[in-house]
Amino acid sequence: MKAFTIAGINLRRFVRDRSNVFWVLVFPILLILVLGAAFGGSSDPRLGVYEAGDGELSGGLVLLLEEQSGMQVVGFESRDDLVATVERGEVEAGLIIPADYDAGLQAGRSVVVELAIRSAEDAQGIRGNVQSALTQQSGVLRAAAFVQAEGAGTFADGLDVAAATGENIPDVTVTVSSVGEQIGYFQLGRFDASAQAELLLFMFLTSLTASAALIQTRRLGVARRMVATPTPVRTILIGEGLGRFVIALLQGVFIMVGTLVLFNVDWGDPIGASAILIVFALVGSGAAMLMGSLFSNDQQAGGLGVLFGLGLAALGGCMIPLIIFEYFAPTLFNIAHITPHAWGLEAFDALVIEKGTVVDTLPFLGILLGYAAVFYLLAIWRLRKVLTS
Amino acid sequence: MDSRASVLECRDLKKSYGDNAAVKGVGFHIAEGETYGLLGPNGAGKTTTISMVTGLLERDSGEVFVNGLPLTTTSIDAKREIGLVPQDLAIYPDLTARENLIFFGKLYEMSGSDLKKRVDEVLEIIGLTDRAGDRTEEYSGGMKRRLNIGLGLLHQPRLLLLDEPTVGVDPQSRNAILESVEQLSGEGMAVLYTTHYMEEAERLCDRVGIIDLGEIKAEGTRRELVQLVGQHDRIRLQATGPCAAGVEALASLAAVREAGVRDGGIEMLVDNADRWLAEILGKVSGAGVGISSVDVEEPNLESVFLHLTGRALRD
Amino acid sequence: MRQAWTIASKDLRLRVRDRSAFIVGIIAPLGLAAIFSSIFTPIENFDFTATYAVVDEDGGQVAAQFVQLLEQFGQTAGVEIEAVGSRAEAVDLVDVEPFSSEEGADAAFVIPPGFSQAVESDQPAGLEVLSGQGGIGAGVAVSFAEQFASELTYARVAVASVENLGGTDDRFAAGLRALAIPPPVNLVDLEATNKELAGKTFYAAGLAIFFLFFTVQFGVNSLLEERQAGTLGRLMAAPMRRSSIIAGKAIMAFILGLISMVVLVVATTLLFGADWGNPLGVLLLVVGGIISALGIMAVVAAFARTPEQAGNYSSMVAVILGFLGGTFFPVGQAGGILADLRFITPHAWFMQGLGDLSAGNVADVLPAVGALLLFGLVTGSIALLVMRKGLRA
Repeated sequence: MKAFTIAGINLRRFVRDRSNVFWVLVFPILLILVLGAAFGGSSDPRLGVYEAGDGELSGGLVLLLEEQSGMQVVGFESRDDLVATVERGEVEAGLIIPADYDAGLQAGRSVVVELAIRSAEDAQGIRGNVQSALTQQSGVLRAAAFVQAEGAGTFADGLDVAAATGENIPDVTVTVSSVGEQIGYFQLGRFDASAQAELLLFMFLTSLTASAALIQTRRLGVARRMVATPTPVRTILIGEGLGRFVIALLQGVFIMVGTLVLFNVDWGDPIGASAILIVFALVGSGAAMLMGSLFSNDQQAGGLGVLFGLGLAALGGCMIPLIIFEYFAPTLFNIAHITPHAWGLEAFDALVIEKGTVVDTLPFLGILLGYAAVFYLLAIWRLRKVLTS
Repeated sequence: MDSRASVLECRDLKKSYGDNAAVKGVGFHIAEGETYGLLGPNGAGKTTTISMVTGLLERDSGEVFVNGLPLTTTSIDAKREIGLVPQDLAIYPDLTARENLIFFGKLYEMSGSDLKKRVDEVLEIIGLTDRAGDRTEEYSGGMKRRLNIGLGLLHQPRLLLLDEPTVGVDPQSRNAILESVEQLSGEGMAVLYTTHYMEEAERLCDRVGIIDLGEIKAEGTRRELVQLVGQHDRIRLQATGPCAAGVEALASLAAVREAGVRDGGIEMLVDNADRWLAEILGKVSGAGVGISSVDVEEPNLESVFLHLTGRALRD
Repeated sequence: MRQAWTIASKDLRLRVRDRSAFIVGIIAPLGLAAIFSSIFTPIENFDFTATYAVVDEDGGQVAAQFVQLLEQFGQTAGVEIEAVGSRAEAVDLVDVEPFSSEEGADAAFVIPPGFSQAVESDQPAGLEVLSGQGGIGAGVAVSFAEQFASELTYARVAVASVENLGGTDDRFAAGLRALAIPPPVNLVDLEATNKELAGKTFYAAGLAIFFLFFTVQFGVNSLLEERQAGTLGRLMAAPMRRSSIIAGKAIMAFILGLISMVVLVVATTLLFGADWGNPLGVLLLVVGGIISALGIMAVVAAFARTPEQAGNYSSMVAVILGFLGGTFFPVGQAGGILADLRFITPHAWFMQGLGDLSAGNVADVLPAVGALLLFGLVTGSIALLVMRKGLRA
């Protein structure tokens, strides 16, 4: 009962500090929105296009480029801007369509189109796409040049005949058949993957930075005053932990419900998702208690909280998906599983990708509970010592 | 031993930090309605002692009984009887006074309308009724101190421990604090009061323990302590005329010791000034000395401390 | 000025004693840089390789031409080409679990029976690409096939046009001649310099500038701490101008920031192989970065009442600016509003300055340094105005 009183006062103090509302509620949602909008969509390479003129042919080329599969087209207003953007690696390649594109082609001259690239290898796919768009557009002109070269007629004759002939001859086509099953991770919606990762990242990060409150309680002398009351040290620590737990849980629920409503994020089986949430809130609050027991300066704990909060999340696959670790760096994949985050993500995989139920998450939840138990036990052992010596 | 029931009984308390022995075998007892003062300079071991008496600090050895109940860091029952006013403020700055009181009241197992009523009473006692709804970070230093004390009174403990409650407090608040301690003691509460202000110990405490370097050097009522070390009253006469003759005239009185001429007057130590003052004045004026003023200084705890330790209280 | 130095050196001593500034200014960014570079380096260094299978069920001249072109492409692009006997075999090869060590192909080209015949006779004709799930490799394969198909489409039109004008010949030979006609549009490569920071440099720099704001904030916040502790009144009672107090705090925050940045630049270079570029250019950017941080953090502090409040608000500002400025992920690649919006943050200018420096010389950082100084100047002036009014004990 007293533990609830202590947890309650924790919550009250937490809510009273308005900046906490920002960190716990506003910021995560904002970040998921931005990350999802910016990086969650297609990962196809981008081709920047600058049209110096405004002719029909150059416009037509852009349309053809946009129809190409496996790349995105981004328009640019100036050549310098486009080149600078390519140099900075913000688009993979830049196509510069000259001002005399239409005039040159119509006059049968050879026109030079520049493709700005940083390295030939990076732009392989894009160059192929640009080449086929050019071939498609200039087919008739090139055929006319062929007619002239073969001596079958003038360039003008060639244009007429080729245009008419082209109508009757079907294009040679390419059909793409997908083989094998798509990797689960890539079936996730635009916001799904980042929402899972951010959920775990933030629950843990906020807990760690909130450990400053525990340190404050100690520094203010209030912790000693609590020990002087007829309240077992165990109850005081459970109360403090409970306060942190409720905050982490509230944040988790908020992110989950918020992203479900706003971005329609798929969290899988609701019971399973709730179970992950509760267990991970235990892990986070346990880590907060441990942190609060180890440091006596809240500013130090704040800095280290950010270090561990972001660092463990990065290692644990919240910034780069675990599947990428698995493929590119198997050692890192193993290291990732030292962090609770990786197990949390695996639990979500079991729910969302494998379409499992809470039963399928149990092995992961068990491991996470292990983390929580270790954190809490160490924290209580350490705090008991700190508070009575 | 006092005939009244002993509320606090502690024996042979010891605590060392590494090689540094902070408290080396302190023991005392406090009866119901009694105010016991621990008087000693900063660093004498007062706070360490009080921390062991409240179960905040694991002691190396010794025993503490509160109301007959043994107390350790894990005791619950004994702690119920104690109210603690720590030396440093221990309040939540981001909560209001009322919220602070209600929170700790709940930890002392109070609830409902009893708690509410008692919180109002305490707010009245510490004079914070008007500001009860403001966050304590907005309070003045004296107001925070008063709340700090109020939190110790909240659950009407049998034993109140005040650790230097007047340090850094303005004279007005200080007086209010002293008055409320007197009142509480009058209501039967046992009080342990630590201070390095001699005047406070003299005013409040029924008995005083003089503590230095982790040991109680002497203990008793003020009078007992003064007699223990055989101190004398000091009489200073502003005088004109043949002072040397006056000093000679005093030689016949056995109660007068060490009389001498100083700064245009006569100074002496007397066994009991009340008893001998008239006779002394007679002898001196009989020798032809004109007396313009008389100053009698009774021995105080300051001089006792000086005698016992060879140091002043406030070094 | 002497008093300002006295105040600054007193504060520096305090900060060194309290290890928070050390943790926030050096340990946290260095620790995160270590983690990030260990995660991102193996991924960045991963070379693109792919294996394509090709099934020629046609056996005609056009198909042979395709296989020949594919093999040429394979040699230049570092792609392994494997000829297999049947479509079923190709499907088996492509149908491997992605990202597994299983042997297989990223994609396969299937040339159906009668393909050459159909192409030569202007009948509908098509190639099939079997696409695996691995990602990049399959995309390149599709693009190669599409390019080949559009060349064929052109050649068919060209040959038929000549035929329509009376010239007749072996269609296949004419087709080859048609393909030899240079396309009217000549695609030439414009080799752009690479100003994209390598992963380990990107994260080292991003984290350094991100945490710099927190480090500088320690310095700025000490003014409010002195007010709370009551020592500000004492300083103001001393025989010196109030500007000396502010100057003292600014000097201290600057030195704190400089120390942390210098340590981070040296440490990330030595430990993680980050390549910051020309030291003079880096120094200019670092100084600009510190001044911008100083101005922005001072504005926040000027509007705060307590050190706690200032701490809360400045963390918010520092985190939002940091994320928006692309210190954690390259916001510029996102394009759109976000890519433009980032230039309201000093962080983006700092990162861009480093990128420009990586490919150019010291002069290339000047626009970025100018922008950083402007940030510092504008926000610093606002802060001074507000603080002068509000400097009270």
